[in-house]
Amino acid sequence: MAPQTPAVVMDNGTGYTKLGFAGNDSPSFVFPTAIATKGPAAGAGGSGSGRPAVGQKPSFLTGGAGPGGHLSAKRGTEDLDFFIGDEALGAAAGPGYGLHYPIRHGQIENWDQMERFWSNSIFKYLRVEPEDHYFLLTEPPLNPPENRENTAEIMFESFNCAGLYIAVQAVLALAASWTSSKVQDRSLTGTVIDSGEGVTHVIPVAEGYVIGSSIKSIPIAGRDITYFVQSLLRDRGEPDSSLKTAERIKEEFCYVCPDIVKEFARFDREADDRFKHYEVQQPGGRSVTVDVGYERFLAPEIFFNPEIYSSDFLTPLPTIVDTVIQTSPIDVRRGLYKNIVLSGGSTLYKDFGRRLQRDIRHLVDARIKASEARAGNQAKSGGLDVQVITHRRQRHGPWFGGSLLGQTPEFRSYCHTKAEYDEIGPSIVRRFALLGGPGST
Amino acid sequence: MLLLDYGNLLIESLLKDRFAPGATPTSIDQISGEFDNTSFHISTPESKSKILISLAIKCYPELVKYGAEEVLQREYGSLIVQPESGYDFSVGVDLEQLPESEEEKTDLIRRISLMKRNALAAPFEQAFDEFASLQEQARQYTSESAPQGVREGGEVRAIHYREEEAIYIKASHDRVTVIFSTIFREETDRVYGKVFLQEFVDARKRGVQNAPQVLARDDPPLELQGIPGIKAGKGEVTYVTFVLFPRHLTPQRRAEVISHIETFRDYFHYHIKASKAYIHSRMRRRTADFLQVLRRARPEAEEKERKTASGRTFTVKG
Amino acid sequence: MSQSLRPYLSCVRSTLTAALSLSNFASQASERHNVPEIEAATSPELLLNPLVVSRNQDERVLVEPSVNSVRVSIRIKQADEIEGILVHKFMRFLSQRAEAFFVLRRKAVAGYDISFLITNFHTEEMLKHKLVDFIIQFMEEVDKEISEMKLFLNARARFVAESFLTPFD
Repeated sequence: MAPQTPAVVMDNGTGYTKLGFAGNDSPSFVFPTAIATKGPAAGAGGSGSGRPAVGQKPSFLTGGAGPGGHLSAKRGTEDLDFFIGDEALGAAAGPGYGLHYPIRHGQIENWDQMERFWSNSIFKYLRVEPEDHYFLLTEPPLNPPENRENTAEIMFESFNCAGLYIAVQAVLALAASWTSSKVQDRSLTGTVIDSGEGVTHVIPVAEGYVIGSSIKSIPIAGRDITYFVQSLLRDRGEPDSSLKTAERIKEEFCYVCPDIVKEFARFDREADDRFKHYEVQQPGGRSVTVDVGYERFLAPEIFFNPEIYSSDFLTPLPTIVDTVIQTSPIDVRRGLYKNIVLSGGSTLYKDFGRRLQRDIRHLVDARIKASEARAGNQAKSGGLDVQVITHRRQRHGPWFGGSLLGQTPEFRSYCHTKAEYDEIGPSIVRRFALLGGPGST
Repeated sequence: MLLLDYGNLLIESLLKDRFAPGATPTSIDQISGEFDNTSFHISTPESKSKILISLAIKCYPELVKYGAEEVLQREYGSLIVQPESGYDFSVGVDLEQLPESEEEKTDLIRRISLMKRNALAAPFEQAFDEFASLQEQARQYTSESAPQGVREGGEVRAIHYREEEAIYIKASHDRVTVIFSTIFREETDRVYGKVFLQEFVDARKRGVQNAPQVLARDDPPLELQGIPGIKAGKGEVTYVTFVLFPRHLTPQRRAEVISHIETFRDYFHYHIKASKAYIHSRMRRRTADFLQVLRRARPEAEEKERKTASGRTFTVKG
Repeated sequence: MSQSLRPYLSCVRSTLTAALSLSNFASQASERHNVPEIEAATSPELLLNPLVVSRNQDERVLVEPSVNSVRVSIRIKQADEIEGILVHKFMRFLSQRAEAFFVLRRKAVAGYDISFLITNFHTEEMLKHKLVDFIIQFMEEVDKEISEMKLFLNARARFVAESFLTPFD
């Protein structure tokens, strides 16, 4: 083998899949975790006239000319006829294909589809022979061990991959923060705030182990911010308020402000500076201009003041983080406050970390003050250090953490190899030595 | 997906992004693997607009022996730069000096994404050329009177492209023989592989008459006798022989034939794995069926008598 | 259904029905334990005579009854290497999910491909004749599934080979 083949890092999330090789600073491929198959459901959806078209399609799509073409139908090759990622979205827009999302709430729901998704990821996108590479996969916190076993069964039995390591996403997100200059010791203790497209999790991790009982999720994440921006655009009657426009505005213009009231005032004072315009290219070549106003700071504000968006979820993010840490064992709380790590696309707003740090610090200081008052000001607290870590690899935090750990020389010794799997069976993956934990470099 | 693509998708998509009009140059630093112990390094070492793409391939010294440098020179010409350290071959693309037209850009992207294919193509091209000259020579003789060299054909070109597997190419006056040696690490793969190979061997008898002849065996074929590193007798290694006939070797077709035959090993192993995946999904479905049957054995939970708060019972009327 | 399969299955069915008359039986060896005697085999008087129902040399069923449990082991037909590997894979796959199957033993008895262990607790909770139905149906379907998989593999191989060779044409 050449020096050593790089490990393959795959982070399959509910929304997006990140694929790449260890040692890189960004994933090679990022695409939706979607698969388009020739589902009977999709076929049956067509009316009588749609039927023959569906029957015709496989013959030219499966690629075999002549004999291969018409035989493919009866030989049961429909399992090869599918697309993943962006191609899946494209295929599903046309007739004959149904779109599926094999991962729900972070966990794999449909193993058949996932197996094919992986197969295509490896052979079509990464173009590697799995027998030559070690694999680092991620899993959500509280993933049942059976799911791990199923994953191992697929990776080892179908793909014969050389070695496998399954890491918890939150732990990898902590590892990713090691690149930040604020992090002095490479500890695996900290609170991870992981906010993606669908849901936001607050996950406390102590020395590499997730404190499962204290995890909290918040039903506010990227998608909600997009909807919120869209509703603001609609209220103002902007010429274009499509979801795509709202998403672009969210990504390009939004930031977190220290104080909404002051920010409103500042907008009124410095109107020229603060109000922006966004040009939308509409299909058909027309282009319209959309004004971008208060949503610039209002949209991410729903994390801190959910009542402006939602009527049934009203707890601000800083309070949730504080509760999570307060419900964790007392001896790790200090470490959890000191190392609050952001991860995921919806934490990228400018000053998100700073605002979060300030709000949490307020909560903590208020509590310390109250307890000092209760003690009759006899005992003085030494104070508590609250630090929110913002770093450059936040967007694909778990993937980058995987890439970082996957390139270390000792990574391979932490993996379970194919030979070990054959010897012991799938239950082997219930336990993994903690990668990057105490004792390793 | 049925057939594997010949080019590297990552390089293709990266370059496409960068070549797009209006794209802002950003720094890239990506390593990437490819089939057959090949790795790529795509980076922008000097400035953001100069992309360096390097290739490392395990058997590069062998390929050079068979004329890889000429082939790469022909394909990439002025793009070639001093190889990056640790890599065998590098090309540089300057985003400020791109060709004007869309087609030329697309062509350039395609050519670069085929870098591994081109490097590996050299021995094939050499063998095809040799075949052409042998064929020319053989015209002058009848089959008996031909001198030894013409009858037996040229030397065997061996490319040890993987740890335990190799490609051997041998040209003769009426054919080019390509032999893949492959190894199955697992019993299941070996058995599946056997089924697959049998069909490769038989394919010519049905339908695809003009395809190359395929032979599969467990011991080294005659062509490989006396080649160093080949263990005689039956072993773990399976030898798959493709016999390419003159119709496959015409100059018009050779590029396509080379690209295609290079993917054989990976195509073959990919499909073994895809079949295992399909069989897994069958087993899952069947397991669910069995569970259903077993569940039927459980008597339905008997309906408990429901009472109102005051102690009256419900009765069914009618 | 082929000529010899019907009597084979009906014989297995009646054997199983007879063998599945189980009663609760506490362990004689240790207090407050209740173990399947066929597995513990602590005393010979609790074990009944094991019995093999055989269709031919490579298809047979071993029924090992005892006072509170029955072990049923099945040897599935494996005509060639491919069927052998498919049976092995499939049975491993099932055993891996034994938890969900209640009556499935994680490891097959030596010489057989898959084993079931039915205890008196199972017969108390589940309908006995349905349990027998399950085993019989299992035997029928497994054979069918294995041959279908084999057919699939051959068809797939042919398709794959032709698809690869066609571009040369």
